[in-house]
Order: sequence, then structure tokens, then C-alpha cells
Amino acid sequence: MSLVLSRRPILRAAVIGGYVLVAEWARVLISTAPNAAAPALLLGGLALALTAFTFAPERLGLGRSRLALRILGGCALGAILLLPAAARSSAVPLIPAGLAAAAVVVSMGEEIAFRGALYAALEDAGGAPLAIVGSTALWTAGHALSHPPEFLLAVAAAGLLLALWRWACRDLVAPILGHVIADLAL
Amino acid sequence: MRRLALLLAATVAYMLAAWAVAPGFYDGFTPVQPYNWVCPPFHVANNQAPSPGHLDVKVIGGSSDPNSAFTEDGQVVVGFLPGALDSTGKTVISVDITPVSPCPSHKGLTFVTNVYHITADAPLVGKTINCANHTGVGACVVMAYSDTVPAPSDMYYSASPNGPWQSIGGGDAQPFTFAAATDKFGYFAAGYPEGAVTSRSRSGASQLLPIAVAILIVGVLVAGIPLAVMNRRRGARRAHDDADEDEDDEGEDST
Repeated sequence: MSLVLSRRPILRAAVIGGYVLVAEWARVLISTAPNAAAPALLLGGLALALTAFTFAPERLGLGRSRLALRILGGCALGAILLLPAAARSSAVPLIPAGLAAAAVVVSMGEEIAFRGALYAALEDAGGAPLAIVGSTALWTAGHALSHPPEFLLAVAAAGLLLALWRWACRDLVAPILGHVIADLAL
Repeated sequence: MRRLALLLAATVAYMLAAWAVAPGFYDGFTPVQPYNWVCPPFHVANNQAPSPGHLDVKVIGGSSDPNSAFTEDGQVVVGFLPGALDSTGKTVISVDITPVSPCPSHKGLTFVTNVYHITADAPLVGKTINCANHTGVGACVVMAYSDTVPAPSDMYYSASPNGPWQSIGGGDAQPFTFAAATDKFGYFAAGYPEGAVTSRSRSGASQLLPIAVAILIVGVLVAGIPLAVMNRRRGARRAHDDADEDEDDEGEDST
């Protein structure tokens, strides 16, 4: 099966994209059940992180060269993602402490799935432009059930920024760190 | 250079898109729906009036049906088990939830929700109910509270809008909701004793975000400058070494 998929990059991208969307939507739907928010985030994050096994770490953007710069980039991305909320802090919802660990897992899982495995699969199938646009489109669709429609433009813009970083720096460490920082705050 | 320009353009696009919606980047863990206040705290802008709710509970076979009454904005939900209401002589029991305006007095207590008047044209019969993992009797009242105020410690009940208020306990249900069982209808609000320190002081915590973002920005700038200098030196050294190797190769070729 994996041999067939590796020889057909378009099919592989479609399979990974379908899996990621189903995992994301299932997580959102399950989290609406009573007392299911934290377990759904944890399990959903782990299900998304499973896509890490589809590519070598370097292809996912998880190499260890220039680690200090990657970490610094993650802090910069976190600051950019949070800046609009910080500018109007009186209206900021803060994540409950009980959900913090689950939020870390799900944000790591989302980055590995969308900007890691899905990005790499789409890049193999059609190059960097398809990887950037495709991963951003599926990231936005993945959030369609958890966000009111008026939020989806900001979600798409965040996805585009993180995907462009992944392309420009060939790095996933910074998007993971930036996403975790942002999710811990909001 | 083109990559940097695209990253900068994406950053500007994100800032504009995120500024159009509050709070901006948001991953769906906390309620994005702002709380609708009767008397909004000073820091709340663009407040909308809270909604009332109504439910007709059917009586089937002499027993009231299980159902939930809720306000249209979802800020209050009252859950009934089968036979929770005294249905003697009735075919339908009417339940109403009304936000109380103007805001009633509650000396010695701080309320983090509106005060709601919950009424029905039949009393509760005291049936055992599990409400937010606590066993009680009657009906389960679930109240949402704002994420910009401290979390409540108790739900309070009063027979009249201006008190006296008595605690009926309760606990956290879903994030930003508080639930308690009640064996009678009347006035309800969630809050805590005045001056008490709650476990999650969100109004204080909300000040942390601008500080945290400022620290991140300063950290990136302070750590980024030496890292960039080191990176440039390393690159220059590598270019110098490559040039030396090329010269050596040319020298060997000429001999």
C-alpha cells in the first residue's frame, strides 16, 4: 500500500488530505459531547501527529540544523499570531488551565499534519505553490466546524503565513512553536 | 529576498484579517461568543442584551417529559429528567427563563453572570439528578459565564430579585459554564463572595498577554541580533574557505 502511494504522489496527497480533514472534523464533533473537550483534543492531536510516519523528519521540516534560529523563528511567529489579540487584551479569552496540555498536543499535531505531511505530499505532487495553497485551503476547511464563518479569513491568513514560513525556511519547528505559543494563550 | 517579501506580505495580510475579528488568531478552545450582559462590566464594549427562553414540557402518561429549557443565546440551560415536574392535572408545563433587568442588588457577593428568573407553572418534585458530576435533586441549572471575568465558586438562589441570596453550590461543567441542582424555581446567578480570591482570576490573567507578547518580541530582537551576526560570520568564513580552496586548486592546475 505504502509503495503504491509513494509511486503516486497525487493519490498520496489525496489520502493524507482526506485523513487529516476527517481527523480534524471528528475531533471537533466529539469535543462537543459533555466532558469530552480535553480527551477529544488529546486524541485528535495524536491522530493528526500519526501523519509524521509518512515522511522522513527532514522532509517534514524537522531537521536539527540551525535549531536556535528555528526556535527564535517560532517565538517570532507566536508574537505575530498573538499581536492582534494582545492589542485588545480586554476582549481576550484565555484558555482554561485544564485544556493547556491538550492544546499543546493538538497544535503540534495540526502542524505535523498540515505543514508537515500534507505540505510534503502536495509538494511532491505539484511543487511548492500547490503545497502552500493546498495546505492552507485544507487547514481552513479543517477549522470550518470549530470556528464561526467570520473567523475563517483570519484562520486562512494564519495558515498561509505558517505555510510560507515552511516553504521559505524549509522548517516546521518554528510553525510548531509559534502555534503552541498562540494556542496556550487563546 | 523574494521569500522575505512574501513572508512580510503574509504577515501584513494576517494582521489585517485578524484585526477584523476579535480576538484574532483563535483555535477554538474557549468560547468565542461574547457574554451578553444586562449590566456589562466597564471593560466590555459592544454588549448585546441577553435573551430569554421558553419551553413547553409535555406531560405524557401523567409524567413530565425529559427536556431542557434554554435561553436563545445559550447562556442558561435548565435540564429536567422524566417526571421532574409535578404534572398533576396538566398536559403541558410552561417553563420560562428571563434575564432580570435592572440588575438586582447582591451585597457581599460578586456575580459573574446576569441574574435570571426561572419560573414554571408546576413545582419541581425533588427527583434525584446528576448535575455536573454532583448529585442533587430537582433540575440542573447550567449558566455560561464570561471569559473576561473571574470564574464563579458558587451558584446563588433567591426567592426575590433583591435577595437574600443563598449558595446552592455547584461546579464547573463545560469550560466557562457553571452548573448546580435546584429543587425550586426563583432567581439564579453564579458568582463568589466579595473579596474572595477565585482559582482563575481571568481579569488579571488577561493583562499577561500583552506582557507575554512584548517579552517574545524583545527576546526575538535581543537573541536574533547575535544569532544573525554569528550566522553572517559563519557564512563569510565558509565563503573565504571556499575561495582559498579554489586558489589552491588553480595553483595545482598551473603547476
